[in-house]
Amino acid sequence: MVGSENKSDCIVRVSRSGKTGINLTTGNEKLFGAGLRAVIEETLSALGNDRLRIDLEEHGALDCVIRARVEAAVREAFPDVSPWKTEVKRERSARDRLRRTRLYAPGNNPRLLAGIELHGADCVLLDLEDSVPPSEKFTARILVKHLLAVADFPEVWVRINPLATYGRDDLAEVMLARPHGICLPKAESAADVVELAAELTRLEESLVTELGTDVGSTFIMPIIETGKGVLHAEEIACAHERVVIIAFGAEDYTRDVGARRTQDALLFARSMIVAACASAGIQASDTVYANTDDEQGLISEAEHIRDLGFVGKGAINPRQIEPIHRVFRPTKEEIEQARKIVAVAREAEAKGIGAVALGGKMIDRPVLERAKRTIALAEQLQGEWR
Amino acid sequence: MKNAIGREIPERVGGRILRPFQGAFATTPTGRKASRPQKTIKPGENKVLRSLEEAIEATGLKSGMTISFHHAFREGDYLVNMVLAACARMGLKDLRLFPTALFAVHAPVIDHIKNGVVSRIEGSMNGPIGAFISQGGKLKEPAVLRSHGGRWRAIEAGDVKIDVAFISASQADPYGNANGIYGKTPCGPISYCAVDAQYAEKTVVVTNDLAPYPAYPFEIQQGWTDYVVVVDEIGDPGSIASGTLQITRSPTRLKIARLAAAAVKAAGYIKDGFSFQGGAGGISLAATKFVGEEMARAGIVGSFAIGGVTQHLVEMLHQGLLRVLLDGQAFDLSAIESLRQDHNHVLMDPGHYANCDSRGCATYMLDAAFLGATEVDLEFNVNVNTHSDGQLLHGIGGHQEVAAGASLTLITVPTLRGRLPVIVDSVTTVTTPGEVIDAIVTERGIAVNPRREDLKELFIAAGLPVRELEEIKQEADRLVRPLGRPVFGDEVIALIEWRDGTVIDVVRRVEGWQ
Repeated sequence: MVGSENKSDCIVRVSRSGKTGINLTTGNEKLFGAGLRAVIEETLSALGNDRLRIDLEEHGALDCVIRARVEAAVREAFPDVSPWKTEVKRERSARDRLRRTRLYAPGNNPRLLAGIELHGADCVLLDLEDSVPPSEKFTARILVKHLLAVADFPEVWVRINPLATYGRDDLAEVMLARPHGICLPKAESAADVVELAAELTRLEESLVTELGTDVGSTFIMPIIETGKGVLHAEEIACAHERVVIIAFGAEDYTRDVGARRTQDALLFARSMIVAACASAGIQASDTVYANTDDEQGLISEAEHIRDLGFVGKGAINPRQIEPIHRVFRPTKEEIEQARKIVAVAREAEAKGIGAVALGGKMIDRPVLERAKRTIALAEQLQGEWR
Repeated sequence: MKNAIGREIPERVGGRILRPFQGAFATTPTGRKASRPQKTIKPGENKVLRSLEEAIEATGLKSGMTISFHHAFREGDYLVNMVLAACARMGLKDLRLFPTALFAVHAPVIDHIKNGVVSRIEGSMNGPIGAFISQGGKLKEPAVLRSHGGRWRAIEAGDVKIDVAFISASQADPYGNANGIYGKTPCGPISYCAVDAQYAEKTVVVTNDLAPYPAYPFEIQQGWTDYVVVVDEIGDPGSIASGTLQITRSPTRLKIARLAAAAVKAAGYIKDGFSFQGGAGGISLAATKFVGEEMARAGIVGSFAIGGVTQHLVEMLHQGLLRVLLDGQAFDLSAIESLRQDHNHVLMDPGHYANCDSRGCATYMLDAAFLGATEVDLEFNVNVNTHSDGQLLHGIGGHQEVAAGASLTLITVPTLRGRLPVIVDSVTTVTTPGEVIDAIVTERGIAVNPRREDLKELFIAAGLPVRELEEIKQEADRLVRPLGRPVFGDEVIALIEWRDGTVIDVVRRVEGWQ
C-alpha cells in the first residue's frame, strides 16, 4: 500500500491475485471516475504491467500524484518493473541566474507540493532528505519525479540523500525527469562533489538517446552543514564546474560544532563559505530561517547575510519569499547612486582620466563593478510584482 | 427562449410566466409597491401568545399559505423546525416555505416535503435540502433562488405574498420590538426580515428573551408586529455565530488574497474614502487583512466596509482604518459585541444594502469587492449555486448586488479544488453575469475582463501577473483529466433570479452522464 488519506493524495493497493481491474473509491464517481481510470490505465500500460488488480482511494490527488502512487505501488509489488519515464522539455538554467530564494518542499507531501512552483521563489528545492522518513524514501522519489515531469519551474533542484545512503537511488529516479540541479547535503570535501558529478555524468550519458538529456547540464549545489565542510569550503567550491552555488545549513552545523544558534556563532562559517564561493566565482546562499511567523526576524537575518555577501537565502514557507526578495531589491537611492557612478566613470574613460571621484569618494574598479551589478539587478527586477 | 446571456429559459413554469434576463441594469419597475391590510391597536391590548400553535391559530395560517423566516441563526436555528413541526401537528399541508436561507440544521424539512406539509420552497437551500431536491425530491413547483436584495424586491413588488412571517429574535419586548444583538443568544442583525415584517399579512416575533419595553435597536418594530411568542430555546448558541474565523494558512489561497489586495492598490483605490466589501470566506478574509495593511501603509482612512462582518473588519474600524462599518450580517461574536458598543458600526437591512428597485443601494457606493465562486467561465460568468455535478449547493447571498455595484469586482478563486477545475468553458449555472465581473484572481495570475482594458493597463503597469483566462484554464486543465459531464433533462428544479426578478438561469434535473 502506498500513499495516504491526506488531502491531495490517494491510497493505492496492488495485488496479483483476484480479478484484474481497477477498483476506485472517490468522492464523486460520476465526475472523476472516467478520468481517474484513464490515468491509472495509462500508467499501468507505460509500466508494461496492465494485468493487475488496483485499488485506489482518491482524496483530491492531481493526475501526477495518481501516476506516482500507482507506479510506486506496482514497483513495490514487482521490484523488477522498470521506472516510468518521459521526455521532459526543460530549458537549461544559467550559472549566475538570480537565486535570492530557494524554497524547500517536502518530497513526500502532495498537498505541499501542489502549486509549489507558483509562489515566486527563484529556485524550488524538492527535498528527499531530512523531511522524508526512511520508510517513504522510495515513494517520495517517485512522487518528485512525476511532479518534475509536469510542473513548469523557474529553476528546480532536488535535494538527494547522501550518496552513501539513498542518494544513488534518488538520482537514478529523479534524473529521469531532468531537474536543473542536485543539492548534495553534508558536503565535506571535493571528493564528495566529484563523486556526485561522476554519477551525474554517467546518468546523463545513459539517457542522452532516450530522453535527450544534455550531458553536463545538471548543476550541483553542495550544502555545507558541518565543521569539516566549512573548513573545506574552498575545495568544495572549486571541485567541479557543475557547482554553481553553495548553500549553508545552520541547523546541522550548530549541532555538529556544539554551538547555539546565534548570529555570532554562525559568522565564521558564513564568511568562510562566502569567501570560498568568491574564490570559485560562484554564488553563496544562506541557511533557512526556521520561525515562519517571525517576519521581522527573517528580514533582519536576511539583511545581515546580504551584507556578508550571500546572494540569497533558503525559505521553508512561501510566505518567507516576498520579505527576502524585498531585502535583496536595491533601493531607489542605491540605483540612483549606481547610475551616477557609472556615468562619472564613463565620462572619465572618454576623457582618458584614470581615477575619478564622486562626492569625495574614489570610484575604483570594485566600486564601478558593484554599481553595474546593482543596475543590472534593478533592471532584472523591473516589473516584478511585490 | 434564450435570455440575454444565451441561457435557455422556459416561457412559463407552473403558473408563472418567466421574464428572461435582459442585462444587469436593463429593466425598470412600473406600478406601485404591494401592501398589507390596515390594522389598528388600542391601548392596553396584549400581543404576547403562549405558544407557536396559538400563534398559528391566531394568524389564521391555513394549508397552501406562505410562511417566511430569516437565517441569522444559521446552523443554530431552531425556529424553522419548530414552526413546521407545529404546522404538521395541526394538520396543515401544502405550505410554501419562503426563508432567506436554509441550512443543514433544517434537514427535517425533507420529511415535511415527503409528508406534504411543505410543497414549495422559495429561498436558498444550503446542503442537504438542496441535495434532496437535486436527487429527485419533488416540490410542486421549482424552487426559486433570489439574492438578498432580490428577495426584498420580490416582496415589495408583490411577486411573493407572505401570509405569516415568523421572525426569530434574540431579544424582543412584549409590544413586538425586536433585535438580534442583545439577549441570551445574540445572532447579529435580523433585519433580513424587516421587509417580511412590513409586508406579511401577519407578523409573529418569536424570542427566548422577553425584555421590558422598549427593547432596542428597533430592527423589527412594534408597528409591524401582530404577535409575540416566547419560547424556551430559539437556537443553539454554539452554532449561531462562530468564534474568531481563522485566516487561511494555505500558501495558494494567501497568494490569491495578496494578489487581490495588490490589484485593488494597482487600480488606484487605496486613498482616503476607499470602500469595500469584505467576506468571511478563507480568501476574502485574507484579502481584507492585506487590504488593511495596504491602507495602514498608505496612511489613509476608508469611508466604509460592508460585511459579512468579522473580527478582522471590526479591528480595522477600531484601528481607525475605516470610518464606518455597515453590517447586514455578523459572522462572529466580536462583530455582535462591536454592534452594541460602537456607534460607527451600523445595522443595515438588505433593502438599504442591495435592493435594485429602490432609490438607493449601498453596494453602488462600493469601490472594491472580493467574491468567491464555485465555477467561473470564459465569459466571466460566475456560478455560486450549483456544484459541477449539477446539484444545488448554495444560495446567492449578496453576490449579485455586490458584483453589480462595486466599481472593482474581483472573483478570488483557486484554479483547482482537489481534482475539480474552477475555470470552465461554460458554468453549470449562471448566478452572476460576466458583464458585472471585472477580474478573476487566481494563484496562476489575474484575468481581466476584456471590457476593462483600462484595468488591464493599470495591473500590467504595477507588475501584476495579468494573463488570459483561457491560458490560466489550460494550465490548470493539464493537471487533471476532464470531468464527467452531467446531462440535463427538461425538468426544471430551480429558478435563479437576477436581482430584478428576471430569470438569469434555471437548474434542470440531471438525467445522465457523459
